[in-house]
Amino acid sequence: MIEIVMKGILPYIAKRTSGKSFKSHKYCLDDVKMPGVVYDDRQDLTLKKYGETEKIKQTKPLLKKSQQVQKFSKPLFKYFLDGSRRTYKVDDIAYDKRVYPVIAGQIGVGCCERLEDRCLNKKSFKHDLVLALPGCADKDGNKKELFFNKLVNDLNEQDFIKSKNIKFHKVLSYEDREMQVEEKYENLGIAKIHDEMIECEKKTAAQLTHDNLLNENAYLLKDGSLEYQKMKTGDLKDLSVIKSNYKCVVGVSKSFNPEKCRDKNGLTNATKIAELSLFSRTPAYMYESSRTAGKEGIVKFAIWYLRLRDARYTASPYEGIVKIEKILVSEAEQNNGLDSEEIDLISANLINERNPVCYGSDTRWANHLYPVYLTETYIKSKYLDSRYFINLF
Amino acid sequence: MKKIIGKIAATEKQPTTIDEFYFWTSKDMILNPFDVVKVGHINGTTTFGVIEEISHITDSPGYLTSYISSDFGDVNAQANTQRIGMNYVKAKVVGNTGNIYIPVRDGEHVSFANANEIQQALGLDKIENKLVCGYLEMYEGVGEEEKVTLPIHFNSDFLVGPEGAHMNISGISGLAAKTSYAMFLLKAIQHKYLESRENASNDSIAFVLLNVKGKDLLAIDEQNAGLQKKDREIYKMLGLDDQPFSNVKYFYPYSGGSLSNTYANKTDLETQMQQNKAFKYKYIFEHDKENLDLLFSNVDDTTQTMESIINYIISEQGNFGGLRDWGGFLEEVGNNCRAGDKDRRDKEITVSSWRKFNRLVKKALRNPIFANRASEQDREIRLRDAIKNIKKNDVFVVDIAKLSEGMQSFVFGDVMRAVYDLQLGQFDGDDDVSQEQIPAKIIIFIDELNKYASTDIPKNSPILRQIIDITERGRSLGIILFSAEQFKSAIHDRVKGNCATHAYGRTNVIELSKNDYRFIPPVYKNMMTRLKQGEYLVHNPIFRSLLNVKFPVPLYKQFK
Repeated sequence: MIEIVMKGILPYIAKRTSGKSFKSHKYCLDDVKMPGVVYDDRQDLTLKKYGETEKIKQTKPLLKKSQQVQKFSKPLFKYFLDGSRRTYKVDDIAYDKRVYPVIAGQIGVGCCERLEDRCLNKKSFKHDLVLALPGCADKDGNKKELFFNKLVNDLNEQDFIKSKNIKFHKVLSYEDREMQVEEKYENLGIAKIHDEMIECEKKTAAQLTHDNLLNENAYLLKDGSLEYQKMKTGDLKDLSVIKSNYKCVVGVSKSFNPEKCRDKNGLTNATKIAELSLFSRTPAYMYESSRTAGKEGIVKFAIWYLRLRDARYTASPYEGIVKIEKILVSEAEQNNGLDSEEIDLISANLINERNPVCYGSDTRWANHLYPVYLTETYIKSKYLDSRYFINLF
Repeated sequence: MKKIIGKIAATEKQPTTIDEFYFWTSKDMILNPFDVVKVGHINGTTTFGVIEEISHITDSPGYLTSYISSDFGDVNAQANTQRIGMNYVKAKVVGNTGNIYIPVRDGEHVSFANANEIQQALGLDKIENKLVCGYLEMYEGVGEEEKVTLPIHFNSDFLVGPEGAHMNISGISGLAAKTSYAMFLLKAIQHKYLESRENASNDSIAFVLLNVKGKDLLAIDEQNAGLQKKDREIYKMLGLDDQPFSNVKYFYPYSGGSLSNTYANKTDLETQMQQNKAFKYKYIFEHDKENLDLLFSNVDDTTQTMESIINYIISEQGNFGGLRDWGGFLEEVGNNCRAGDKDRRDKEITVSSWRKFNRLVKKALRNPIFANRASEQDREIRLRDAIKNIKKNDVFVVDIAKLSEGMQSFVFGDVMRAVYDLQLGQFDGDDDVSQEQIPAKIIIFIDELNKYASTDIPKNSPILRQIIDITERGRSLGIILFSAEQFKSAIHDRVKGNCATHAYGRTNVIELSKNDYRFIPPVYKNMMTRLKQGEYLVHNPIFRSLLNVKFPVPLYKQFK
């Protein structure tokens, strides 16, 4: 056992990893303009195959349907899931003449439940503090996972951590490789922390399914894409688990790149999406994600777009349009696409989620759904104050 | 353990302070201004607060957001999710169990208080010489389980002396029920003193009430037929019996010929006469000429000529010596009004002054209460004689309702002087005055104080001087003034400033905009415009804050 007498997180880590801490300027990475990691919409969509049972060629107006749904049934979405992370560069650390950033992060994943009185309540919440170090922080490198686990456990045992009543969840390691032009170590660290957040989201969705809370009358609406990078960790080790967990989950992305959505001739579909009329949806397309491949093969999605706001009131033609994804679970769904009835029902329910709006509080108001916005606000409210967090280091 | 209703929120913009704190609560939680809440504080102490303001907020940064949230102005738009909102409440700190007044901490639980804690919070738990002044109801909207009903007590030493004295009640005519509240307090006082007589206490009290409106106080010893069971229960809860006033005597202005000086029903009057509890009062020149100045209380006498004439008459100069009746007096005044009669007239007083005096006095003296003599057989009496024989626990009701404004002032002034003289010992040598029976304290109740002590009243008004004197010195003499008026802001500063207790009934907005109400928080002010009959805001030196007090319907007969 190494006797560590140095106080403070960074000197402790420097000592434990045999590095040199530079005590650099600490700042929140989310406050500075940096090339972000956009997971919301990374897919290069080539819409070759219909993703629904009904073969519609044009867009489908759904206002009437949404009115009927509102009048005669309860809202389909009962649970709302969102995850967010806040990252900070807290130091630079030198290993073998190379200098790497030390990235710290706060991860928050929350799920809110809508009650009978139309008010939102907390269902679950997880707030984790993490650190991201370069892989070479483990000088031996043979049992990386063990090393970092031990590091975080030992760190949490230190008095200067205990006295603050905080606990680090994980020390993550980011890739140590040659950086390309415009590539930065910081981004690798951020990506790692982001992945950790995604894992946490997946666990939350799995837990809801495990508790038998999701059914055809109580869907989970997840903020962002469902197209996770290799669904191999957490509780999602095989495809059958993914399928059962995501049977009643819909992913809604606020931001997407319309240029990447191409028709079968390889031409962009951007105009078609931009011209989508109010409360109408595009046909659903099937998308096979290689990124989301599970142990037993690829995952198929049905993807469609829906306009929630009148283009007259939005700053760009894509504002007010959301991209909706649903994992195709059954074999029939994978072969023939999602039932058009279900797509219409999901769309109609999403149309009914258009009010209230977070206009004035969030610039993305036209694409935001209020329950998701509230969940996001809830998560953010639980973060430690950035100044406080930075000064822990 | 009472229900937790929220948590303290201390923000950069609205921190908790020594004096106040804010907490959030559910938007459905029905709270009211004046409700007491408690908050856990350091060293295991509890801080109490009284709710001052309740606001509802949502996450909507502007009205535009609300508009857009209804599909850009569609009034029929419905939403699946209700916009997040909550109520935040501002409370004034009224105490801490360990006398710790550093601000309460963010995130502390806020809960309802039980009856004992409410008493502790409002400083009602250690009150001595308890005198009930009404009751409070708290947490009314939350449900019967949480609701607290508590009798509220003054320390009588702070209401009727020796620590503090005088009470002022203000509010809109009719809607505020000022007379009813004053009578409720007087009833409570009589009850207390009747009880203490049984306990052989040396302290004693009597009451002189002036009836200024209709038949309001002309049957205060008769039962209120409209009294319900629930009202009797309230009286029981307050520790009072449900009987009307006892030991009551009524004094009606003497009516003669076709002129009736009272609104009282003739048969009622006769019944009261038969029951030996009603008298007719008169003013006899020989004994009452010294009160002539009271007839001029509303006359602006900047050059003091009227005062000179009155002094001239009282000191029996000229031919005013030896006069026995008002007729002779008027004749002599008339003589002084004649021009050219230089021998008989005081040279310093001009004829025109005498003529003015004559005009004013002649009009007043036309009233039949100015008579040659009072016949005991016919139950006629001089008020001064009646008052000097007032006994412990007596309630004298002097009816002045139908008299002209000038005459009302005259009678009121006379009553005050008589009480003053009695307490000063001016009647000590009189054979008919029994020293043992003189009450230690006499409460005078007068409604419409605006008529006698407003800022518009001439500064040399003898009545105003008398009222100021009573409010300034009455506490030590045992003369307590209970007054009521519509516009407190118009009352002379020295009068209201000397009142230890103030009660505010329903008040109109214009009145509330005056400086007198500056110390009242805006929400309470708005509440004052909506107070129901039977509801008062009471301010007394022993209370830590204004209290919202209720009182039951009167026990005595009500004339509709």
